[in-house]
Amino acid sequence: MTVSATWVAWLVASLILLLSTRNPIYLFVIIILLFILGARQARRKGRHGWVHQNLRFTGTMLILSALINTLFTHTGQTELFVLPDEWLLIGGPFTLESLLYGAVNGLVISALYLLFDVFNLSLSIKQITRLIPHAFRPLTVMTTVSLTFFPAIQERTRHIREAQMIRGNPMEKISDWLPILAPLLVGSLEDALLLSESMTARGFHARNDQPDNRLVLVGLILVVFAAFSGWLLRLFAYPTWISILLYSLGAVVLVVVLATAGKAQHVTSLHQDDWRRQDELAFTLLMAAGLGLIVTLVTKLDAGFSYTPFPRLDLPEVTLIGLCLSLIPGIPLLFKHHD
Amino acid sequence: MIEINGLTFKYPTQAMPVLQNVHLAVEPGTLTLVTGPSGSGKSTLLRCLNGLVPHFSGGEISGTISVYGKDPVSAGPAEMSDLVSFVFQEPEAQFVYDIVEDEIAFALENRGMPREVMAARVDEVCGHLNLTSLRKRPITEISGGEMQRVAIASALATQPKVLILDEPTSQLDPAGAAELLQYVVALKQQLGLTVLIAEHRLDRLLPFADQLIFLPDGGQVLQGVPRAILPKMTQVPPIVRVGKQLGLDPLALSVEEFPAIHVDSVQNEDQPDGPPDEQSLLKIQSLNANLAGQVILDELDLSLARGQVTVLIGPNGAGKTTLLRAIMGLTSSEGERRLDGYDMDTLTLSEVISRVAYLPQNPADLLFADSVEEELRLTLSNHNRQFDSDLIHQHLARFGLADKAARYPRDLSVGERQRTALAAITVQNPDIILLDEPTRGLDYANKRALAAILNDWRRQDKAILVTTQDVEFAAQLADRVILLDAGRVQFQGAPAPAFTQFPAFRTQTAQLFPNTGWYLPRDVRVDRISNV
Amino acid sequence: MRFKFQGLIVNIIVFTLGILSLLAPFMLPQARNSDFSNASFPIIVSLIIILCVLLTLFEIQSAGLDNKMVAFLGVLIALNAGLRFLENAIPGPAGLSPTFFLIIIVGYSFGGRMGFLMGAMTMFVSGLITGGVGPWLPGQMITAGWVGQSAGLLHASLKGSRWQGKPAEIVVLAIFGGFWGLLYGAIMNLWFWPFLAGASGQTWLQNASLAENIGRYSAYYVATSLIWDVTRAVGNILIISLMSRAVLKIFTRFDRRFSFQVNQEQTQ
Repeated sequence: MTVSATWVAWLVASLILLLSTRNPIYLFVIIILLFILGARQARRKGRHGWVHQNLRFTGTMLILSALINTLFTHTGQTELFVLPDEWLLIGGPFTLESLLYGAVNGLVISALYLLFDVFNLSLSIKQITRLIPHAFRPLTVMTTVSLTFFPAIQERTRHIREAQMIRGNPMEKISDWLPILAPLLVGSLEDALLLSESMTARGFHARNDQPDNRLVLVGLILVVFAAFSGWLLRLFAYPTWISILLYSLGAVVLVVVLATAGKAQHVTSLHQDDWRRQDELAFTLLMAAGLGLIVTLVTKLDAGFSYTPFPRLDLPEVTLIGLCLSLIPGIPLLFKHHD
Repeated sequence: MIEINGLTFKYPTQAMPVLQNVHLAVEPGTLTLVTGPSGSGKSTLLRCLNGLVPHFSGGEISGTISVYGKDPVSAGPAEMSDLVSFVFQEPEAQFVYDIVEDEIAFALENRGMPREVMAARVDEVCGHLNLTSLRKRPITEISGGEMQRVAIASALATQPKVLILDEPTSQLDPAGAAELLQYVVALKQQLGLTVLIAEHRLDRLLPFADQLIFLPDGGQVLQGVPRAILPKMTQVPPIVRVGKQLGLDPLALSVEEFPAIHVDSVQNEDQPDGPPDEQSLLKIQSLNANLAGQVILDELDLSLARGQVTVLIGPNGAGKTTLLRAIMGLTSSEGERRLDGYDMDTLTLSEVISRVAYLPQNPADLLFADSVEEELRLTLSNHNRQFDSDLIHQHLARFGLADKAARYPRDLSVGERQRTALAAITVQNPDIILLDEPTRGLDYANKRALAAILNDWRRQDKAILVTTQDVEFAAQLADRVILLDAGRVQFQGAPAPAFTQFPAFRTQTAQLFPNTGWYLPRDVRVDRISNV
Repeated sequence: MRFKFQGLIVNIIVFTLGILSLLAPFMLPQARNSDFSNASFPIIVSLIIILCVLLTLFEIQSAGLDNKMVAFLGVLIALNAGLRFLENAIPGPAGLSPTFFLIIIVGYSFGGRMGFLMGAMTMFVSGLITGGVGPWLPGQMITAGWVGQSAGLLHASLKGSRWQGKPAEIVVLAIFGGFWGLLYGAIMNLWFWPFLAGASGQTWLQNASLAENIGRYSAYYVATSLIWDVTRAVGNILIISLMSRAVLKIFTRFDRRFSFQVNQEQTQ
């Protein structure tokens, strides 16, 4: 599984899953799957210590989140101990329910972080850059330029630092940055001038005076409004279908607008992901699983996703459907990662 | 067919036009060599042919330009890019992508070329420039010469008719430069390209040039076949100078063309092999340095004496820079380093730099102050020395910068910048001066100015170590020569054997007169030559 | 002129919606949807913000970007992203980074649009390089973008005043940098807050008033990030006071070479 599209599908499906469940058992399953997957991907990239590092992060998050929630939220029936009410904000009873609620929060945050970390591990920087729509060609080129110049500038910084040292600059105070920053800036800006000549001489032009630009802008404004109002309406408990309608409308306009603006750029790309049979399979499986998840959510099928320790502590319930859907983040484990 | 008539161009920031009433014509399928001192307008002239001037630079332009029937001034660089391709001076700074094949495809992507066609084009140019095995490599991992080949491939992917190269070899080592130019000459034949190259060094390209354009610093532009133009130029390659001395007609442009010449009995005076070791100011013994598990310096011995210029020559990767950095203590090494008898391992960096000055490869790395004078003042204050305005002005005068004291260093020309850096690192009056590749990218005039500075230091009894890949420059200056290859000293001693006996380091004059011990045009004794 | 109007409209929309989305945690007590789980909250905010960022970026791209600016910003962003990793190479207290300094100076020298690009794209490229692409990125991009954009505004409002070119200009810039050092952290925390402190829905719904929520947020802010933000603010002030004069000078010199009038008078 190497193709960007499969990983994006994985990310989206897993993200929806993560955002719809607060069941600690499911969250545990998800986190464990992400750890196994992450360990595999990290090994492939030669990132040693990934598991250790993230275990520590997850642990810290869990404790921190539980602690903060207990400190600030004082509802719940099982009181652990009480601080005087006069203590600003943190005063009041400390409850087991708050502690648990915070811990679940910590699980969600950790899982979210892990999810994106694995995504970053699995796609190369180039693959991510190529996900930027053609409509933003000048910005894609800008990003590419940054990535290309990044190592050269690191190298140059070392040279300048050395040059300043042998000139007797002691490099002790903050003002000693200037002897590094000034030559670095000037050298980089001179490079930039030459680079822009070289881009111009090869037919690149950032300025796009497309007549459609206005339309694209209006479209994008509509998309932003659609997303914002859909969210707001949902926040104030208007019927869900209005929000869904607005979201879908926004999505359609976004796709149309970006496609139009992308076409106007008249660019192509040398690279295309190399779809193998595996990728097709993985993609199909992920799409099917995602669809299943959405159907479950929309039909409000009982998957045991929702869980809250309030008002009284209960054991989270587990259903077969819910457990199956929690396995979505692990789907890439079924496939090999080719280079 | 390229035609220029009455072209005058002035940059927006300058008072005087850099090109004035230029008339030129270039036939299709020919190779034109454009030369002239820095600042004479070579780059500007070439940039007029694809519209970068004035579209990119701004400025005022008049006259007519026609490139295969198109006017670059009205068409603009984007449209001209179908017809004219351009390769620039700095290999590192012209890349958008960090992978070879992506970079080559950039111009094609900008045209929205279908992927299959694009892939085929990339295959084709990679074949022409022998880049097929490098296609997937990161740009950072290939050599400067290979980078320039990628730049050419990238420029040729659109299948243009004209290939323009603006000093493409100035940042390359001699081997890389020679190889690159071979590719250019071959491409011209294979694809029937019209090639224009701006170059300081003429010797490698003269045999292949159909036409030579000389832009003097002010004055009339000369254009014609090389043999017609060369006699009117002051700065020419050694082979042309020797040819002129001997009154050859027609002038020989390559060693192969040079007539067989018999030289009467030349006695090789043996020069003394440097000073005895006791006098040496800096003494390095069995120095070893490793970088990333690779041996860079291997049991290296070296000594520098007062009043001597020692030249360190060697190909890229021989370890020249590492040696200088090891001497300064900037890179870890094993072995004995003694400065005036003191063990350098016991000296602090500031103690070392008060006696040893070091000019890194890119002198611009040193400069950051608002004025030339300020740069010198900062060095003095770094060394806790008193600021003395008279002293600074005297010092600047030695570098030909007397009238530049108040200038912003970054606005100076390449040569002046380098001299500013030199002034800044030597204002504390060190005994030893190390220079890393100071000739890179310099034209004849600036090299001469640099040589004058080195000679001045020699008279002041300083010990000087210069690394360079420019054999002709080295031959003019060296009191002692060290040939370095793969971290080992191949030869250390007097210049004559160094520049005559080692094929890779032989000067052009030495190639013309084997077995004579002559290695500079000034060595050639016309009275000893019989059959011209 | 045409672009000025267009930019104004887009910026007003983006700023209003962006701020409303980020400040939404304070509106939660008034919200009626109790099962609006707190993890999806910041994610949707991120979605709205990224759309806002895209809108702004497209506006900038269609209004005033040319090849020189693409190369110029591309290289500067690489430099800026690089400086974040060089904290060890350069002396100074931990957490001190010149990232904001360059964003501010670019916005100040080249205008709000370039400032926004510089800020937003610096965060994006840093995210790519460090493998930090995630839901936190949109918030970072828009806030850093605003840093640069407001620096452009600052320049516009100082233009022609007697402060320009005087030491007072540097003082104003330093205060501006210090202010953003604090504000950046506050805004980024605002985004993350619902994850941690936005906790149990019913507390929010039934008990908390807006004032109380602000109090809670302040406590959370002081506890989690005030130290870092103060460091950043002090760092910005120091770096700007020490270096902005020299860097402004460099930019002014290059500005001439980057943006000129194309006077091609052609006599045929």
